[in-house]
Amino acid sequence: MSSTVRPPGAPPAAVSAPVAPPPGGGAPVPARAARAAARPARGAHRVRRRLRGLRPHTLRGRATFAFTAVMLALTTVLVTGVWVTVSQYLLVQRERATLVQTTANAAQVERGLAGGVAPAQLLSQLARETGSTSLLLYGGEWSTTSLRIGRDDLPAELRERVVDGGPARQRITADGSTMLAVGVPLPQPGTAYFEIYSLEELDSTYRVLGIVLTAAALTVVPVSVLAGWWVTRPALRPLDRLAGAAAAIADGALATRIDPRGDPSLEPLATSFNRTADTLEERLRSDARFAADVSHELRTPLTTMVNAAALVDGYRDALPPDGRESLDLLRSEVEAFERLVADLLEISRADAGSTDVALEEVCLADLVRASLARRNLAATSPADLDVAPAAEDLRVRIDKRRLERVIANLMDNADKHGDGLVRVSVDRLREHARVVVDDAGPGIPVQERSRVFERFARGSGSIRVSSEGSGLGLSLVQRHLQLMHGEVAVEDSPQGGARFVVRLLVVEAD
Amino acid sequence: MGTLLDVPQSVLIIEDDVRIRRIVAMALRSEGLDVQEAGSGEEGLERLGERRFDVILLDLMLPGVDGFEVCRRIRRTSDTPVIMVTARADSHDVVAGLEAGADDYVTKPFVAKELSARIRALVRRSRGTGLRQRITVGDIEIAPEEGTVTRGGEAVELTRTEFKLLTELALESGRVLSREELLERVWGYDYFGDSRLVDVHVRRLRKKVEADPSNPTVVTTVRGMGYRIPA
Repeated sequence: MSSTVRPPGAPPAAVSAPVAPPPGGGAPVPARAARAAARPARGAHRVRRRLRGLRPHTLRGRATFAFTAVMLALTTVLVTGVWVTVSQYLLVQRERATLVQTTANAAQVERGLAGGVAPAQLLSQLARETGSTSLLLYGGEWSTTSLRIGRDDLPAELRERVVDGGPARQRITADGSTMLAVGVPLPQPGTAYFEIYSLEELDSTYRVLGIVLTAAALTVVPVSVLAGWWVTRPALRPLDRLAGAAAAIADGALATRIDPRGDPSLEPLATSFNRTADTLEERLRSDARFAADVSHELRTPLTTMVNAAALVDGYRDALPPDGRESLDLLRSEVEAFERLVADLLEISRADAGSTDVALEEVCLADLVRASLARRNLAATSPADLDVAPAAEDLRVRIDKRRLERVIANLMDNADKHGDGLVRVSVDRLREHARVVVDDAGPGIPVQERSRVFERFARGSGSIRVSSEGSGLGLSLVQRHLQLMHGEVAVEDSPQGGARFVVRLLVVEAD
Repeated sequence: MGTLLDVPQSVLIIEDDVRIRRIVAMALRSEGLDVQEAGSGEEGLERLGERRFDVILLDLMLPGVDGFEVCRRIRRTSDTPVIMVTARADSHDVVAGLEAGADDYVTKPFVAKELSARIRALVRRSRGTGLRQRITVGDIEIAPEEGTVTRGGEAVELTRTEFKLLTELALESGRVLSREELLERVWGYDYFGDSRLVDVHVRRLRKKVEADPSNPTVVTTVRGMGYRIPA
């Protein structure tokens, strides 16, 4: 009796075939998941490759992502399992019920025929469930209880098989819907009883089940994202602190250490991190101290050299032409040397962690105006200052000496490496006061912009564009601004040159 | 004023490094100053006992009696302006030196031309303001012409820089003078003078003129703006 047309163990996909797609479109998730489950290794690979681009960058994001992926995989397996089991069970139940009814009705037909009752009358007396149709082949004639379903709805193969003496069942499409045809041969030759059952109810059960399971699977994603985000927070807190401390050190806060208190899991990590930081700090400090000591020692002889050269310059008229030229060379080299030593000392002191930043509140426009006036005194072509009306009274909290160096170095840079200073302007952008310095040079290519702040960075290539300047000026600009919680960036000036933008936090008037 | 420029101003250099001392002395002489040299703190103090100088140039790093001590000893007997020579503008030496009584400072490497300009600025303004009228602030009376200050009838010993600072504030009593303005009026600096000069001198001045220096009423601080003598 179990020799059904559909071989046992058919893929679940076949089971779901009669199920209409759930509202909202797309193939039902269980079916797709079932396919993916059939080839787990390859499927996972493909999914992983496709998702790589979407992978979050933070550790916590990745942990949440992994958590969600695991949850989704588990849910998929679970949903597929439920789907396969339940749908199989329902189908088996249905098949068993139809078989029982068909066999009972066939027995009644057999008795009726033996009693000489006419087939049509016989069929009408049968007890049938609503929606099912009985067909009888008797003496080469077909009788049916339905006007719409008849002999032609039964596949020839099924008919022959039953008439040949084997009971069988097959899923068919009749009257526009899926039905189950069950046939039983009767003892009289050429006689068979068929019954066609509607599968409508089973289909709608499948549909509801499909929707419920799909919805469950879809809910898992947002819920596990939230749960993962929430759950990973305490777990990753030590790593967050570690990452924060490492970033602080990278930004130059060498004194940063991790306090493992209240977090035993952090303790070994904190200990080795702190030891590394100690070593690093000590080494950097001793390097910086050495540089500071060297440049400091150079200042005394420099004082002698500068003044001796200046004194000799007072007698230049008494010198032969060669002597005068030598004197000029000497003076310009001594001057460059002096600047280099001053910058080196300044930067090494900043490296050594000198914290003598004297912050005071000043009017930014006044400071820039004074800096520019000082520069214009010595320059061949004076540059303009452009203060936005809203920026005239902007106050910033800075170290005056350092900010003066910043502005002076930027103007110096424009004069020496940017074909001359064009314009200096002061304006306000949201909570920042800005000082913008434009030059007349060719601008700085995007890929070199971060490099210009490096020590001894020169113009493009290895060609030393100018022998002037210490090569530390812009690097000092950045260091000074860091100490004053400001920042500097390079852009293109609308006139084509390079534009350096200094940003400082505005002190709001009370 | 015209005749002042004809008399060479006298400078005493106290510096142990002979090379710097020689070259600075030569350079200042070429700038028209009358320069004497001393190779140690002890020698410098000895010279000061022999004659008056208009300005003293004092290196802080001296063997034996160091620059701070020399400065304190000078202040005990004299109000001669002292310019200290320091290696680092941002070190605590500057504040310590100013507190020991120095009026101004220069950092190495300095150029003799700038130094002589500073010397002239200090000397010029230390010769009185030309005001005849006396100024009174509470129980303090300033006699600009004589360059003397009395508090409750008793004489207060001020250095020339402290005196100038007090006078500038008193002349504009009621108005806030910013550090920049004071640097320009008292020291002859442009915008970028070191504002610590003002702060340390105000502190020194308060010790001498205030009843309670930690709770000043004569020279008051206006946060973020500057100093003021209330009208």
